[in-house]
Amino acid sequence: MRPPITPLAPRPSQYGIDPSLVKTRAADLPGMTSVMLKELFPDLPEVIFPCEEGVAAIRKATEESLKNVDMSMIRPEHSVNILAAHHGFTLLGGEPYAEMLKTIKDVIEARTGCKNIRLRAGVGLRFRETEEYIKRYGLDQHFNGKAIGVAPVDQGIPIETEVGTLYGIKKIYDADWIVHAHNSDVREVHFHRQVDRAVKPFGMAYARIETRSTYHQNLGPRAANFTARAIFDSPFVQSKFAFASFLTVAPNGIINVDADNDLYALNDRITQSGLRYYGKIMTLFGEIDECIAVLDFPCPVVYVFAAGVIYANFAGANTDLYDLDTALPAYTWYTESFYGKRGKPLLDDIPRVNSAIKMCVHNYAWTGYPSAFFSEHIPTVVVGQEQADHFNMDPQNLTYMKHAMVAEDLKAAMEFAYKVTGTDKVVIFDGAMGGINVSEPLAEFLLKKAPEVSKRVDEELLPKWLRQRGVIL
Amino acid sequence: MKVVNQLAVVDAEKCRGCKTCERICPVLAIKMENRKAVVDNERCRGCANCEQRCPDYAIKMVKLEQPVLVKVDVSAVDYALVEDLCRRAKFNPEQLICYCTATRAEEVAAAILQGARSPEEISFLTGVRTGCKVECIQPVLRLLEAAGIKPEPPKGGWQWYGRTVTVWEIPEEVKKKYASRGFYFDEDIKILDRVANAPVQERSDS
Ligand code: SF4
Ligand code: SF4
Repeated sequence: MRPPITPLAPRPSQYGIDPSLVKTRAADLPGMTSVMLKELFPDLPEVIFPCEEGVAAIRKATEESLKNVDMSMIRPEHSVNILAAHHGFTLLGGEPYAEMLKTIKDVIEARTGCKNIRLRAGVGLRFRETEEYIKRYGLDQHFNGKAIGVAPVDQGIPIETEVGTLYGIKKIYDADWIVHAHNSDVREVHFHRQVDRAVKPFGMAYARIETRSTYHQNLGPRAANFTARAIFDSPFVQSKFAFASFLTVAPNGIINVDADNDLYALNDRITQSGLRYYGKIMTLFGEIDECIAVLDFPCPVVYVFAAGVIYANFAGANTDLYDLDTALPAYTWYTESFYGKRGKPLLDDIPRVNSAIKMCVHNYAWTGYPSAFFSEHIPTVVVGQEQADHFNMDPQNLTYMKHAMVAEDLKAAMEFAYKVTGTDKVVIFDGAMGGINVSEPLAEFLLKKAPEVSKRVDEELLPKWLRQRGVIL
Repeated sequence: MKVVNQLAVVDAEKCRGCKTCERICPVLAIKMENRKAVVDNERCRGCANCEQRCPDYAIKMVKLEQPVLVKVDVSAVDYALVEDLCRRAKFNPEQLICYCTATRAEEVAAAILQGARSPEEISFLTGVRTGCKVECIQPVLRLLEAAGIKPEPPKGGWQWYGRTVTVWEIPEEVKKKYASRGFYFDEDIKILDRVANAPVQERSDS
């Protein structure tokens, strides 16, 4: 068996505990091994990152892909906002995304003579998160001080759409042109269901609270995805949109950079690759019959990831998240909101949380995302009192610890988990690059199941998923 | 319902009087006095919005020695009225409308039936919108509207701008235009209607 892959080190952030408090990483525990994703699914694409060349490969790919983009609308006297979002900075250490952003700026400047190029980086629910990244990756310097984080509570701007007025963040749109710089990593498939994934930030990271609340409360689990399209298609946004540049991502790394003046063409391409590559891992995760899930990554509980799949999606892996005929994944906010006072869904046909997760050991994960649903429905052990105290001071997680237990250290937490659950299958959500850190029995299980899953996705599921989204292969 | 366990404290030395905090506080707990931000401790609901957006890092969140429970007593109003108001806004009374504070539609409805007239008052009374500060403005506006109340956004504030479209209001031509792109408007109406009309699990007056 292969040794475990070294996970990303804990990061200093106001949303997590001090890295010095993370004493042991789950990958270092006895009995842990790793499986390379290409071993599971040999048809996963070749990647340009991680690689020996490092982020230079990303710069090269960005320059190459921007060659096909028309920038003639940008005049030297114009202003350009490069729009970014927090999520990209959590991918493979964050440097690749930061490098793409820097390269886009350099190329625009060289090609158009425009000097007034700013970075506007949107957030999820941690309003200072991108401020932290801007400093960490030297983006403030690279953009000559014109790099800021923007939040959904900042001053807004009304946007007239086909479905009435929605609201964007004013600072996102305060330039002559906007460039949409994002990535195709699947992340919250429980929300976007791989429908208009490329467009989503227009209804989310670039949007005001009214719009985000529309998505999560007014439209329903699948119709929600129309929010972003409505905004993007508005005459206002169309009058400013120059082009998009995406890191295209597969579970095993960054495949390439894809840039286009036509966002919907790019969207169709990433819909295909997203369904094909992430669909296999996601389906394989759905096969796991029992396990202990260990969270060990500098991200909120929902976003820690293994093999490119976030914990939130593993909690719903008992449902086919890509099958649009299934209205509600076992975890998504609509589902969560449909649990009544007795702690069960208001309708009998609403799926329950993935019962294969026998216990969650929370070794290291951040606050800044409402996560009480997880500790309420999955037995959860949090490592270290400091981490528990940190959660108790987060306005979004005031009841997370109400349902979780505290263990003194990771070893004690794991001993407890093994004893109580009786399973020796462990999956570690530590963002290991190129592979997945698991216990030996789970490694064997995954290797055995993968070929059948691969066949099923190729022959049955993928054609259905594409059909449901109107994407023709 | 929310347990308020922290309070915003302004460092007057650092405050440059930009008014950002005043403009975004969801319960209007901040006023400018002599061009400095001043927090009304009795109103603050510990959401950290101001702390997270102050451009000068002049605000800190401080732990309260005695946490305060903020809650509207649903049993104090006729539950039939609560149910009726929720269902008119197309919510199940037990539906969670604020994920961070686990506030249900019935509590917001009860606040309205007891006289709350604006999102700010509702947040002050129930704690809704004082967790993530992002996701729950629309349900609050929908419940107010269903009660025949049309609140005005706070003057000069950025707290909120307006109610937006619901799935029941998506024009037929829009549905037709995008019928093949995976949005499932009509199917989602069905599921939301079924939830809204499902029986409650535990009446607050029982
Ligand atoms: S946001 Fe900060 S600087 Fe601005 S008024 Fe409030 S405390 Fe003062
Ligand atoms: S309620 Fe929130 S925004 Fe208002 S003063 Fe308190 S912490 Fe600041």
